[in-house]
Amino acid sequence: MRNLMREWYEGHITVTIRGKRFERLVNLAVREGIHIWNISRSGSGQGQFDILIRDYYRLRPLLRETGCKSHVTSRGGFPFWLIRIRRRAGFAVGAFLFLFGMYMLSTFVWTIEVQGTVRLTPGQVEQVAEKVGIKQGAWKVKLKEPQILQKEMTALLPEASWIGVHIEGTKVTIQVVEKEVQEPAKQLGPRHLIAKKKAVIHRVEAEAGKSMVQVNQFVDKGQVLISGVIGNDTRQGLVAAKGKVEGEVWYVSNVSVPLNRKSSHLTGQKQDLFYLVVGSYAVQLWPLQTIPFEKYEASETRVQLGYSQYSLPVGWKKVSLYEQEDRSKSLTQEEAIALGKQFARQDILSKAGKEAVIKDEKVLHVKTENGKVYLSIHYAVIEDIALEQPIVALPPAPGQNTSDKAN
Amino acid sequence: MKRWSRRLRHLAVGVLDLPQDVVLEVPRITMIGQLQMYIENHRGVLHFSEKELRLLLTNGQLIVRGEQLVIRAILPEEVLLEGKIGGVKFVEKS
Repeated sequence: MRNLMREWYEGHITVTIRGKRFERLVNLAVREGIHIWNISRSGSGQGQFDILIRDYYRLRPLLRETGCKSHVTSRGGFPFWLIRIRRRAGFAVGAFLFLFGMYMLSTFVWTIEVQGTVRLTPGQVEQVAEKVGIKQGAWKVKLKEPQILQKEMTALLPEASWIGVHIEGTKVTIQVVEKEVQEPAKQLGPRHLIAKKKAVIHRVEAEAGKSMVQVNQFVDKGQVLISGVIGNDTRQGLVAAKGKVEGEVWYVSNVSVPLNRKSSHLTGQKQDLFYLVVGSYAVQLWPLQTIPFEKYEASETRVQLGYSQYSLPVGWKKVSLYEQEDRSKSLTQEEAIALGKQFARQDILSKAGKEAVIKDEKVLHVKTENGKVYLSIHYAVIEDIALEQPIVALPPAPGQNTSDKAN
Repeated sequence: MKRWSRRLRHLAVGVLDLPQDVVLEVPRITMIGQLQMYIENHRGVLHFSEKELRLLLTNGQLIVRGEQLVIRAILPEEVLLEGKIGGVKFVEKS
């Protein structure tokens, strides 16, 4: 029924009416379509109500007709508020300037964040961004659309395959996706591939260079397997020998396995002890009764409050005790041998390299003595035996240049 | 003629299931506890003071008694009254 927005916007006043025919006045006003509200009586000849400023002038003839007198007691709403503001012009201007200032400051770019750089430095990206206008203190109104900025920046930064520009408030986020650059192949100097160990050749694959050995040939340590010198006696060239040479290498491994094995386990039982620490003394506070563990592992955490190197002399510590239990296990000879073989295999593979394959395994000797099983096992392992050896530059043979030209 | 019109109106209320206040020109009053009272279909204010509001109806008067009565809003056919309402009384036109 009431329109508060309109009342506030148009301005309203509270009018006190003096006169005997107050009800008549209200009826007439309502019939005229004058909007009045909050009608109350404070005596027989007195009453008051609220009315819009605009309607107050229409009320006057009715007042004359009913013989009432009006008196404005309070004013409210936007027009009166304006008048009050005019009286405090400085304050109003200040408030407006503050809001305007806030708005203006929010139209500048204050921070730039570069994301996703790997090889490029954020500084490089920011330099490029400055060229298209994105810099600290730039006016956002003058910046182009992010889509266009993106395109321009991508054109200026050939290292990036895509650049995203995202303006959020006063912050510009530049997302860079760099191009994947392939590493240039390493330039290799001329070299031989030589044998790492004594072995019997199992397989030779020469990618570059001349193969000097054949399958099933025995090679000594240091013998050239794939030569970096190619050509015949009259025309020679040097290359970086490349390839794969697998050889069969023999190892003998000696292992000893005890027949009785002792190990300790945690039982899962645990108890926490709390201590009060004063200086170098510790007083146990809790629990009052400790469970006696035969064997345990203890871990301690200490809390002592302090600042930099100074610390309070009083603190507390917590000690956790974990119960341990010893278990002994005796092995039969077969089990001990199996375990010994397992150890030996691991040992051999760690010596022979990752790609090594055990070709043959032979137990040479088993001896039980003093509760231990001594094993000696022979292994034939196929492994990569190639080792790179650079060819030390020799003064070129006198005939070589001419032969190259002839080529 | 008037008797005929009244009969027709009662018939309309019964047969067509129309709300009585619309057809019979009687006030429709909504009260929220003692605090507020909303009266429709009145014909003007006869008397208003802190303790009493007397409204003209088509057939008589409506007297509302109470304390600290204030007319929050008024329109040609509606009144919104607030205050501590004590009693409502109808007076038939004699």
